[in-house]
Amino acid sequence: MVPDDLEVKEEEGSNMEIDVKSKNDNEIIFIIRDADFTFVNAIRRICMMEVPKVAIEDVHIVKNDSAMFDEVLAHRLGLVPLVSDAEATESLLLPEDCDCDDTCPRCTVSLVLKKKGPGVVYSKDLVSEDSKIKPVYDTIPLLKLKEDQEVELEATAQLGIGLDHAKWEPTTACAYKYYPEITIAETCDECQNCVEACPRGVLEFDQKTKEVKVVDVENCSMCKSCVRVCETKAIDIGYQEGNFIFLVETDGSVPPEEVLIKACDVLSKKADSVITFCEGGI
Amino acid sequence: MIPIRCISCGKAVSAYFDEYNTRIAEGEDPKLVLDDLGVTRYCCRRMLIAHVETW
Repeated sequence: MVPDDLEVKEEEGSNMEIDVKSKNDNEIIFIIRDADFTFVNAIRRICMMEVPKVAIEDVHIVKNDSAMFDEVLAHRLGLVPLVSDAEATESLLLPEDCDCDDTCPRCTVSLVLKKKGPGVVYSKDLVSEDSKIKPVYDTIPLLKLKEDQEVELEATAQLGIGLDHAKWEPTTACAYKYYPEITIAETCDECQNCVEACPRGVLEFDQKTKEVKVVDVENCSMCKSCVRVCETKAIDIGYQEGNFIFLVETDGSVPPEEVLIKACDVLSKKADSVITFCEGGI
Repeated sequence: MIPIRCISCGKAVSAYFDEYNTRIAEGEDPKLVLDDLGVTRYCCRRMLIAHVETW
């Protein structure tokens, strides 16, 4: 939708408000009011693509007797989420910021896997040299070993960003939607078709007042199933300009609040580089 | 072997694989087990439901 007047008001964007709707260890849902969608989208994209986290990059395989190919095993190891919150990655540098030629202990963490069959090898068998940087989950099956089979390898984990590989994406689901707005006109003939059509239980029919009530607007996905079944065209689904419901879910490696903080840092660094460019240009 | 992450969204679903299997073997309803494990999206649920362990 194109705004009615394109002139930027002085106060615009300055009265942005945020309410947290729900929050746990790896998921946060919050409502942003009076924000510009370009800003919200910038935050979303940076959360997914430019917030660094740790993942296994190089695997040196000493012995692998299992039926699984070395490269398949290396790929599986890369996808295992490793704890990379601010506390764990405090002293770790991004490989491009480190002044070493290839790899050094300041930009890498080594993990060792040594196991003899028979049995399933789990992510808990990965022994890290850093007690803080370790697999988030202990129960990820990596490979299976038969009688007398052995696996021995050394893996090197590095910081990286989602732009380079999906294993460095700290978020799984990271998305926002417009805040839905449901309007029911007086032409409603109380047929209740819309209540039945809604797949998410957003609407309810109040037997006392004989009218359709909106009970859970924030759950509305704006699918318009209710609009299609309404014969009198009384119900309409719209959205509130500038209000968003934002969801950030992580794979457990970084807490969602931290992802947002780091995303804002990246965004302000980008803005700073524009400022320095402009000042230098004049 | 089950893929480490959900192919669509990237959630580490393989971490729940063993628990899911043992609870299904005990006769629990797969729907309730997945809800309890926090596997809510249908992309992640199909990873566990549709997986066939061949070797």
